[in-house]
Amino acid sequence: MPQDILARNNVRTFGSGTQPMLFAHGFGCDQNMWRLVTPAFERDYRIVLFDYVGSGRSDAAAWDARRYSKLDGYAQDILDVCHALDLDDVILVGHSVSSMIGVLAANREPERFAHLILIGPSPRYINDAPDYVGGFERADIDGLLEMMDRNFIGWANFLAPAIMKNPDRPELGEELTASFCSTDPVMARCFAEATFFADNRDDLGRVRVPSLILQCSDDMIAPEAVGAYVQRATPGSTLRQLAATGHCPHMSHPEETVQAMQEYLAVQSIP
Amino acid sequence: MPHRELAGMDELLDGAPCGFVSFDDSGRILRINATLLEMLGRERDELIGRHVEKLLSVGSRVFYQTHLFPLVRMHGRAEEIFLLLQPATGDHIGVLINIARREGDGAGTYDAVLVRVRERQKYEQELLRARREADAANRAKSEFLAMMSHELRTPLNAIAGYVQLLEMGLQGPVNEKQLEMLERIDRSQSHLLGLINDILDLSKLEAGGVEYVLEEVRLGAGVDAVAEMIEPQLASKGLTLEVVVSPELTARADQDKTRQILINLLSNAIKFTPAGGAISIRGGAGAGAEADADADAGSNMVFLSVHDTGIGIAPEKQASVFDPFVQVHEKKADSPQGTGLGLAISRDLARGMGGDLTLASAPGEGSTFTLTLPRH
Repeated sequence: MPQDILARNNVRTFGSGTQPMLFAHGFGCDQNMWRLVTPAFERDYRIVLFDYVGSGRSDAAAWDARRYSKLDGYAQDILDVCHALDLDDVILVGHSVSSMIGVLAANREPERFAHLILIGPSPRYINDAPDYVGGFERADIDGLLEMMDRNFIGWANFLAPAIMKNPDRPELGEELTASFCSTDPVMARCFAEATFFADNRDDLGRVRVPSLILQCSDDMIAPEAVGAYVQRATPGSTLRQLAATGHCPHMSHPEETVQAMQEYLAVQSIP
Repeated sequence: MPHRELAGMDELLDGAPCGFVSFDDSGRILRINATLLEMLGRERDELIGRHVEKLLSVGSRVFYQTHLFPLVRMHGRAEEIFLLLQPATGDHIGVLINIARREGDGAGTYDAVLVRVRERQKYEQELLRARREADAANRAKSEFLAMMSHELRTPLNAIAGYVQLLEMGLQGPVNEKQLEMLERIDRSQSHLLGLINDILDLSKLEAGGVEYVLEEVRLGAGVDAVAEMIEPQLASKGLTLEVVVSPELTARADQDKTRQILINLLSNAIKFTPAGGAISIRGGAGAGAEADADADAGSNMVFLSVHDTGIGIAPEKQASVFDPFVQVHEKKADSPQGTGLGLAISRDLARGMGGDLTLASAPGEGSTFTLTLPRH
């Protein structure tokens, strides 16, 4: 059974420490996105990487429309990986939607987790007038779904095979396989809807694990007001504002991201 | 780069027929050419230093942050990604964007080229629509075939039933001549029923509605039973049948479907072997090719091959013998008839059981069809 989970979620572990640091990728990506930050933690932690079912090189045959149309289904993937490797005292690092997936997992089995590191979290992307500003209207999300359709179905499925056959540019096909194409359009759409139509505001108040919120500057997906909301609503949370702009500081500004994480963990380890 | 060259480069870029923008790891715009500014209806000063995602529609910004940026940052490039630009006024503009990341002094610079896709977008949508229509039409055809085949069987069964009643003489005595005619009606009815069953089978296979009951199948006994069944057809053409299959040879397969494949292969062999010819069936472990015996003995597959001394099949036609509705031999008045579905169905069935059906043939040397199945 554990072996099945490790293959299903394409789990990779490395590093010479004992405390597990489990990295959960965001929507649209896979575990490769952590490549620029994990080297800084390899010496002191046991690094655990995985792909959600339906993303990266996970086993697509294990995908289930009902399970993966809710963030709870993805939280179960995190817990499955924890059980399969018998992980305890876990530092869970979640990017974007995986912040909320991590919160759900930690609320279900708080005893397993030591810290949550939430990169660009948002408990609800769609505005809920008059009191909550998530940054998006439903039509904006439809715009995203259209882009996905165009680039998955219109492009990857339909035209990419022609380019993949291009003998002069073999790397082209390979790259697409490694990124867009490895995610099935139906599964990706399901993940998108689970992500952007979710409302996890009530789950924040139930968090019992200390957490660090990394808030980017000028992040249109998780604006600063949302980060502040998460900090207010989550007991035991610390907010750290980054100079990094955009939504993916671990890729755009890995040094600053690593430093913020290390400083937080150093302070927490003082008895 | 000296300043003068840089200025020359800007001029060159401004004259390009496609949009160009470069930005840093933070997404801050470093350069943007006149073509892109014109598309956007903006001035250069407004945009230098702003985040590149500001050029995009909201949906495209989210796509950029969740898909495109991670892709380019981690893989170094992205090709032909469709995005919508948000101009100062007016509707969104569809573009295909190619981006590459350059690294220097520990920082990354991204160069993006954007091409408008008005025309291409139209073609692409047209192609997508055509493909969806073709898929839908193909599905409708399969459903129609399945439905019609089913409906056609009902009157055929009635024909068979009434022929039987007449033959039994329930409505009065039948003379010899009439009996002969009734038998002809019955034979035509069975032939037609066979063709319809083929179409129904194919429709089911296409719709994925076939269920397999996998169990231990004794291939020797199976071959003997089928051989007995086709004995009259062999005798009428004066063909000989040689069977070399060990009684111990077993497969993990569906009994009925294995039998259906064997009947099909043997019927074909009889059809295409001229009078006085020979048909042989061999069976054993392995995939049946001329591989070495040691490898075959340890294989987890078993095979049955049916060889005929017919006219054989030219190499260029061998690939299409398994396509539905294709008959590779030219139609002559006296040539054998059929739906051309038998081999398509047989191969689908073999694959459905985890095996395969393959062909080896040369014109003038007969054909060998080899059925492989998982070993029990």
